[in-house]
Amino acid sequence: MLLSRPLKNLAQPLIRFLVVLVIVSGIVITVQASEPVSFAEIQDVLKNQCVKCHGPVTREGGLDLSRPVSILAGGDSGPVLIKGKLDESLIWERVVSGEMPPETPLDDEARQKLQHWLEAGALGLPDQVEPEDLIHWSFRKLKKTSKILTDVSAEGKLTSEDSNLNPLDQLLLPQLRAADLEFSPEADIPTLLRRVSLTLTGLPPTWDEQERFLKSQDPEVYSQIVEHYLNSPHYGERWGKFWLDAAGYADSNGYFNADTPRPLAYRYRDYVVRAFNQDKPFDQFVREQIAGDELSGFAEGKTVTPEMIELLEATHYLRNAQDGTDSSDGNPDELRTDRYSALEGTMQIVSTSLLGLTIQCAKCHSHKFEPITQDEYYQFQSFFYPAFNVEEWQKPATRVIEAALPNELAAWEERKQTEETEIALLEEDFRDWFRENRPRGEVLFYDDFEGSNLDLKTRWSDTAPDDDVPGSSLPIKIGEPDQSPSFYSQNGQLLIDATQAAAEDSWNSTQDVFEWAPENTGEWIQVTFDLVNDRLSPDATPALRIGYGIALHDYNDNSVVEGGNIVFEGALPGGGAAVYYDLPGTDSTPLKKVGNQEYQPGHNYGLRLTRLSADEVQVQHLVDGVPEGDQIELKPDQLPAGGFGFVYYNNRSFIVDNVLIEKSPSYSSDYDQLWKAFQDEETKRRTELDQQVKACQASIGEKPGQIAWVADYSGNAPDVHLLERGNHTTPGHTVTPAPFSVLREDTEFIEESSETEAPPFDVVAPNDQSTGRRTAWANWVTQPDSHAQSLMARVQVNRFWQHYFGKGIVATTDNLGMSGSPPSHPELLDYLAAYLVEHDWHVKELHRLILHSRAFKQSSLHNETTHLIDPANKLYWRFSRQRLNAEAVRDAMLQVAGVLDESMQGPYIPSIRTPSGETVVAETEPGARRRSIYLFQRRTQIPSMLQVFDAPKIVFNCTRRNVSTTPLQSLALMNSDFIRARSVELAKEVLERPAVESQIDFAFKRVYSREPSADEIELFRQFLDQQQALYTESESPLLQAWTDCCQMLLASSEFLYIQ
Amino acid sequence: MWNPISNYDQLTRRAFLGGSATGIGGLALAQLLQKQALATTVNEEGLPNETFFPAKAKNMICLFQHGGPSQMDLFDYKPALNKWHGKPYPGGDLEVHFDKQKGNVLGAPYQFAPQGECGMELSELLPHTGGIADEITLIRSMKTESVDHEAALRLIHSGKFLANMPVMGSWVVYALGTENENLPAYVVLSDPGGLPVDGERNWSSEWLPAVFQGTPFRSGPAAVSNLNTPEGIPFAARSKQLDLLKQLNERHLQQDPFNTELTARIQNFETAARMQLAVPEVLDISKETKETHELYGLNNPATAEYGKRCLLARRLIERGVRFVQLFLSGQPWDTHSKNAETLKGLCARTDQPSAALVTDLKRRGLLDETIVMWGGEFGRLPISQGADGRDHNRHAFSLWFAGGGFKSGYVHGATDEFGYSAVDNIVNVHDLHATLFSLFGINHHRLTLPHEGRQASLTDAEVTHAKIVPELLA
Repeated sequence: MLLSRPLKNLAQPLIRFLVVLVIVSGIVITVQASEPVSFAEIQDVLKNQCVKCHGPVTREGGLDLSRPVSILAGGDSGPVLIKGKLDESLIWERVVSGEMPPETPLDDEARQKLQHWLEAGALGLPDQVEPEDLIHWSFRKLKKTSKILTDVSAEGKLTSEDSNLNPLDQLLLPQLRAADLEFSPEADIPTLLRRVSLTLTGLPPTWDEQERFLKSQDPEVYSQIVEHYLNSPHYGERWGKFWLDAAGYADSNGYFNADTPRPLAYRYRDYVVRAFNQDKPFDQFVREQIAGDELSGFAEGKTVTPEMIELLEATHYLRNAQDGTDSSDGNPDELRTDRYSALEGTMQIVSTSLLGLTIQCAKCHSHKFEPITQDEYYQFQSFFYPAFNVEEWQKPATRVIEAALPNELAAWEERKQTEETEIALLEEDFRDWFRENRPRGEVLFYDDFEGSNLDLKTRWSDTAPDDDVPGSSLPIKIGEPDQSPSFYSQNGQLLIDATQAAAEDSWNSTQDVFEWAPENTGEWIQVTFDLVNDRLSPDATPALRIGYGIALHDYNDNSVVEGGNIVFEGALPGGGAAVYYDLPGTDSTPLKKVGNQEYQPGHNYGLRLTRLSADEVQVQHLVDGVPEGDQIELKPDQLPAGGFGFVYYNNRSFIVDNVLIEKSPSYSSDYDQLWKAFQDEETKRRTELDQQVKACQASIGEKPGQIAWVADYSGNAPDVHLLERGNHTTPGHTVTPAPFSVLREDTEFIEESSETEAPPFDVVAPNDQSTGRRTAWANWVTQPDSHAQSLMARVQVNRFWQHYFGKGIVATTDNLGMSGSPPSHPELLDYLAAYLVEHDWHVKELHRLILHSRAFKQSSLHNETTHLIDPANKLYWRFSRQRLNAEAVRDAMLQVAGVLDESMQGPYIPSIRTPSGETVVAETEPGARRRSIYLFQRRTQIPSMLQVFDAPKIVFNCTRRNVSTTPLQSLALMNSDFIRARSVELAKEVLERPAVESQIDFAFKRVYSREPSADEIELFRQFLDQQQALYTESESPLLQAWTDCCQMLLASSEFLYIQ
Repeated sequence: MWNPISNYDQLTRRAFLGGSATGIGGLALAQLLQKQALATTVNEEGLPNETFFPAKAKNMICLFQHGGPSQMDLFDYKPALNKWHGKPYPGGDLEVHFDKQKGNVLGAPYQFAPQGECGMELSELLPHTGGIADEITLIRSMKTESVDHEAALRLIHSGKFLANMPVMGSWVVYALGTENENLPAYVVLSDPGGLPVDGERNWSSEWLPAVFQGTPFRSGPAAVSNLNTPEGIPFAARSKQLDLLKQLNERHLQQDPFNTELTARIQNFETAARMQLAVPEVLDISKETKETHELYGLNNPATAEYGKRCLLARRLIERGVRFVQLFLSGQPWDTHSKNAETLKGLCARTDQPSAALVTDLKRRGLLDETIVMWGGEFGRLPISQGADGRDHNRHAFSLWFAGGGFKSGYVHGATDEFGYSAVDNIVNVHDLHATLFSLFGINHHRLTLPHEGRQASLTDAEVTHAKIVPELLA
């Protein structure tokens, strides 16, 4: 180190030669004393100082020094080394000349290692390199399944007898035998029945299934079990959920704290469940999710078919990423950030769930650990950009298409009409009851307009109380019709004739003054009137508004009395009454509206004002006497004493009757009781009404045909820019669609520097509405016999394997790239992938293969000897016991309690957060006992029972769940309302059996799918006896004892694990 | 060779099965045990020897002050502010969040005076903090990277301003586990008034397993989910129930006697039962002396609520909880208007309890092993926003620490004449994280886990160049 640095700058050849000599002589000593240099040591040197430029991605000079095969393969200048020949090795020449590494030369120790390693024959490098070897293992093309088996046999690892075995077992055996191990014996049928049932459906076998299969003498019973559960609709619910996790499915938008719901996402969830149940070929499944819109032939106005709908639903896959843009605000830069986040999230989901590649590093710079350049990241982005154009963003709420089947829509509209009529009737009934039964207050004013018109003037006036100016620019005439009045009674009704009134504000008022702000908290005053008609004659135009005012005191804007003159204008479009403060005059201030219902003749309207506190008076809108809709709060000093009157302008003529002003009566215990009784009855009836209305609304259902989908904005692809450092404020050059270079099919791709222009990619637009880019990518990733398809198949089967055995053949299920783990059984992984492809991507065929393997069917029992050799069961000498996942824990409890609601599909079941912070589905919620997949999958509100058993919080997606064992789980099993409720349900069923033996037998079969042993019966007998004695106070000690007993069965390991 | 990816399962699995309240055994301990018992297999386990080293601190209490407390009104005396009050800011350009309400220099109305033997200058609003000046390290030269609350919160909690990274408490608990198997290792004492801004993300473990996230203790009897035995099950019946369960589980274990998961599950029921007693016990402050109640200000309505949580923090730490965090509802220190008035109220609420915590820890001999942190996500501007507010400032803010290996009576760094920008001994958030980790005996370069194709860590030093600040250490 001391020598090389100063001498490096002296360029004379002689001196350089001297350096070599010095170093060589130095090494001789070291070498004699040391062990041969291992490849690992050399790799450290190369990694630290060479791989930055000569890595799998950068490949400067076509050279990759990161792996043994690529080192041996050399670069553009030919082989980089000749084993055992230092002087002929290019790498040594460049190092010694000081040319490489260009900035910091290797220190003495590193040089010595390199020299010794080269001289000793470059330990750790293979003898020769096939072109395919240069490719990372997961990017290689799959061989045929037959070839994989032949190759393994050719290595002499299998005997001729082995060829009768399930191929998966053949591929596991060599490693087992190398460790002197064998598979465990097959598990018995009861164990397998439960194992298959839980694995395929996430539910334990039902009573009937146990009866059917456990009593069968058929030697083929296992095959029957397999087929039975593969054909169960519950299969799609479990295996669909695995895919939904990988696809990042959630029922909420995430990103911001608001985490707003995605009410239509469920259609994608249901699509996935159906696809698994139908055994839709997986490659087709992928194409539909990436480009279903383009493949469907759907266009607005075209007749919709069920097939089209299916394909449109599938595209929601690309919308599973978090997307906060419905709620985002801020400057254009911030908006862009939020939009890019949604697009980048989508890319991340696609790359990890389909290709097992982590690409997001390449957003900012070429990936350090994967052969993906920054250019390629944006080339990949350009496939999706036409549907996620950041400059013309569509928010989630607007990405909805209407595509209903013709008859579906008609049926819905009919249903809607029927149910809405029903709702109207129910509400009317309630109002009738309310009006008739409401205890009256103290009547302050009442006019039924039965008297003469002369009489009218004693109660009504054209000026407000204490005002000397009439409430109109034109005098309001009160009196006989033949005197052209604007306010008169006829047939016991009050007619308000606006044709005679001024164009602007005109009003009348009661002669009487009322206190509109009740004095004490809880007291109220209310005014109501019947709206007889909204026109004076059948051929007249209806009044646009029904206006009335309270606290009327002065027409003059400069009045000394503050506040008052509050006008309500009913019959708004959208319902309720607009409220204006301090009319008439130019300074009228609109307040918020009250009420929601539209004004209809034949109903009673009005207001109730209730004192809430020292400085608040609540104003409620009354329809047929019942408070409804929006309310406002006013301050008492805004409500001075004043009259009540009607307000009417041109074209606002209407007929009213029965103007009634009441206030809360002064206290009396009789009235108090009457009022309380009425309120109790009202609450009861209102709850009933709400339930009935809810049921009607539920039976209407969502308008059919609403699909949250993805589609390109147009057939013209926008420019897609590479973003320098991943920052959208610094866009770089434009890019065009191209596949990742490592997965290209052109033969020389591996030699090609990834910086060069991407090869043209075949993109055909399906119509003028779409670019066809996503179809092109979908076809590329599923193209038969390609690198991309091979990788995609490996990623999928690896995850499937994980769902069977608790771990993937590659442990990093989201990452099969260079930075992922290596496969524990490479041939097995390839066999499974090739098998899936060869069976036209029918996942159920793959299930059959696995389900019939010894690896799956073998016992999970402990073996003392074997355990010492392979405690972690890495070699699959037994079936590894696995805890049920969160959904299965909950669903299985519902099933064994006999209360599982098996209905499928539809909008999510809402959950609530309790005051104590738990997220639960209320037991009274319709659908509360449905499978967990149908519960609200809100990112920030995961049901506590699921979360404690490791249900993931979906950020991007989840290809592998943690399995934790915590005391919080124990607390949930000991104390949660959910498990207690299930225990009671099960106990009640147990007690329907006659004798204690049959009760215990029933409980064991239900919960464990097996018969109890003799000593277990004894254990339970004793427990039940002792426990009953502790509940002597209880109504049913036996039920209590059995509930406790059932709860412990549900909390026990045997229930919670697949054995 | 250290192959992080293949170790993920082993590490987390090990960490899950400790039979503690959160199921956390702690990596550091596991590693030490491994080294002693199986010295030759250390490499196979993949744990480098250097990840952990002897620690000064065992625990941490973070008194987090949402909103960005005004450094120049509380901790960083700037006479220039009053001199220039009401005049245009003479110091050049300022980065302003609410541009349209930008005003002139806003004076700092409260008096500053030297406190303690060290002479640290503090505002008159912090008399009690003044009383512990000789115990604390005050950093006046903090800088962060965003003036957006959420982004700055994520940065100080998780080291990244984008969401989805585990917070520091989760990393610490992941690394060190817990010392009380009957209580969660990471407890959040949230404000009864409501969640702070950015909600549960403030204590989320994100992609680290959920056992490493903060467990909020609610007020009232149901402090932890499912803590209470259902009504109607007498104690004797519950005991019998658990006996039955144990028998069922032990029979089942016969099939797989070396399965640590099954064993842990059996132990966890016992732990859970103990936890049902331990949690109410720790929350019961009735046996604390009158003097202690008064120290924390429990007798005064202004300080009682915050004081109770500070006292609970001490009780939790005393019982071996690793990480305790206090939050305030919303973001009260966000003084966009009525800066001076608001600060007065907030200090009246937090000053005494915060100082009491340090005093109490010290007299109980717990301060040496416990880091106390006081501060928010960023600072405020020397100019006014509107009439009397101060806007966000990422270029300077102040934090204080006590105990756990921090220097005492020490002021670190300085800002410019107006307190706008840290100029001397600048400490960024990543440096702060590196320093805190070092006190816990954690090498911030080494505590990494594979995530999204790379090695993720709290400091991500390769990118952020985070480094320990040795001057802060005693």
